[in-house]
Amino acid sequence: MTRSLVMGVLRRLSLVLAGLTVWELVARSGMFSPIIVPSLARIGRELWFLATSAGSLVEVWQSLFRGLSGLALASVVGVTLGVVMGRSAVAAAFLSPMFSGTYPIPKIALFPIFIYLFGIGSLAKVVLVFLECLYPIVVTTHAGSRAVNRVLLWSAANMGASRGRILARVVVPAAAPFIFAGFRIALPIAMVVVIITEMISSADGLGYLVMYSLASFKTDRMLAAVVVISLLGLALDRLMVALRDRLVFWERLDSYYAE
Amino acid sequence: MIGWGLLAAVLGLWQLVATRPEHPEFVLSPVEIGVHFAAALRSGELLPHVGASLLRSLPGFVLGSAIGVILGLLAGVARSLDQMLSPVVFLTYPVPKIVFLPIVMLWIGIGDASKIVIIALACFYPCFVNAYYGARSTPRIMVWASLNMGARRSQVFGKIVVPSALPLVFAGLRVSLALSFILLFSTEMINARSGLGFLIRQAESSLRFDLMYVSIVAVAALGYASDQLLLLARRRVLAWQAATTR
Repeated sequence: MTRSLVMGVLRRLSLVLAGLTVWELVARSGMFSPIIVPSLARIGRELWFLATSAGSLVEVWQSLFRGLSGLALASVVGVTLGVVMGRSAVAAAFLSPMFSGTYPIPKIALFPIFIYLFGIGSLAKVVLVFLECLYPIVVTTHAGSRAVNRVLLWSAANMGASRGRILARVVVPAAAPFIFAGFRIALPIAMVVVIITEMISSADGLGYLVMYSLASFKTDRMLAAVVVISLLGLALDRLMVALRDRLVFWERLDSYYAE
Repeated sequence: MIGWGLLAAVLGLWQLVATRPEHPEFVLSPVEIGVHFAAALRSGELLPHVGASLLRSLPGFVLGSAIGVILGLLAGVARSLDQMLSPVVFLTYPVPKIVFLPIVMLWIGIGDASKIVIIALACFYPCFVNAYYGARSTPRIMVWASLNMGARRSQVFGKIVVPSALPLVFAGLRVSLALSFILLFSTEMINARSGLGFLIRQAESSLRFDLMYVSIVAVAALGYASDQLLLLARRRVLAWQAATTR
């Protein structure tokens, strides 16, 4: 029993462990310069440095602030638009072609225009994050609020609920699983866009830290920054799942991370 | 119909704002952009960059999504592969893949290969996840029935698992396609000597706003056209599936 459990855990970790072992072996073999393949110990030391120095925490905060504020704006606007589109045929007729027509267009191409409009500071990046996150949230919310059980709507209307009250108390909760599916798609997009824009043009943030460390040949610090970004993406995703399970307690998430 | 009216109204408003005398220099009217676009097409300023971009994004997309779909389908049916692969994939799924660009650049150079690898890496994930769930959601009764009628395992895989996973596979492909363009333009904006992302940056820094808008329109057209092509392919392949498109 315990033996099979241990074997199961080992098998699950086998690829990660194998990858790390190969990395360390290659780093120690002396075949490549430590600039190209720094050892895990050096990356760990840089990681410790990043975690303990105030300056790098500011970079983390900058990236987090940009990503999360863009995502927050997109969720407010996106859920509103999606619900309205889902419950009103007129709004859907107006907005649906706009969204489905511009959906496959990579919004990142607009970044240079945004730099001219909003400057090279945080605002242009937040606006781009907002725009990229808006689409998945609108699409999933729209689908979710169209799929609301009619009996619920009828009984709420029958008991004298106003239109706004029905939207807030019936449609939004019923669409909540869909809305969170949209948030879950949008969250990694927000992180990607923040890191990309910081790599392209910025003087702070984690994306900048990656490019700056690369340009000064501090590969170990660059990889430590990559680890931080990865852990951040992972932690935010878990946080989103926890929040979803808390708020949408009546419907379980299909085994996305079950094991 | 009303939607297109709204689009036309937005364009009309833009045209009005952009033709007012006090508009900022970096705002061009839609008509001006159209004229510049036609000129850039004729002068050959645009097409080589479109070609360079496509030569990066298409191999990356094909490579990444093919590996993703195949491994995803296999992990969906084979338990040992599932236990080895899925935890790693799901754990690294929310990590922004673009951060690996600098490392890959260090290893295999700053040329096209590093861009293709990053695009393939990003395209792998949505395809793997969707193919995995597609394969896992195969109706069991169909598998049992076919086994009962004497089908071999390979036949069950090819005739039952793959077709029932196809709708989700196409959903994954569509996400990957959009991602491949995002990654393409960001890698080209970070470093490249050709391609549409490079053209946008170069036009921006040399204050050639006409060229900047032209390349943005080209990017948009490329993204839209490839998405439509994929939807067309899906309609062809999934003709048997009742119309739940879009």
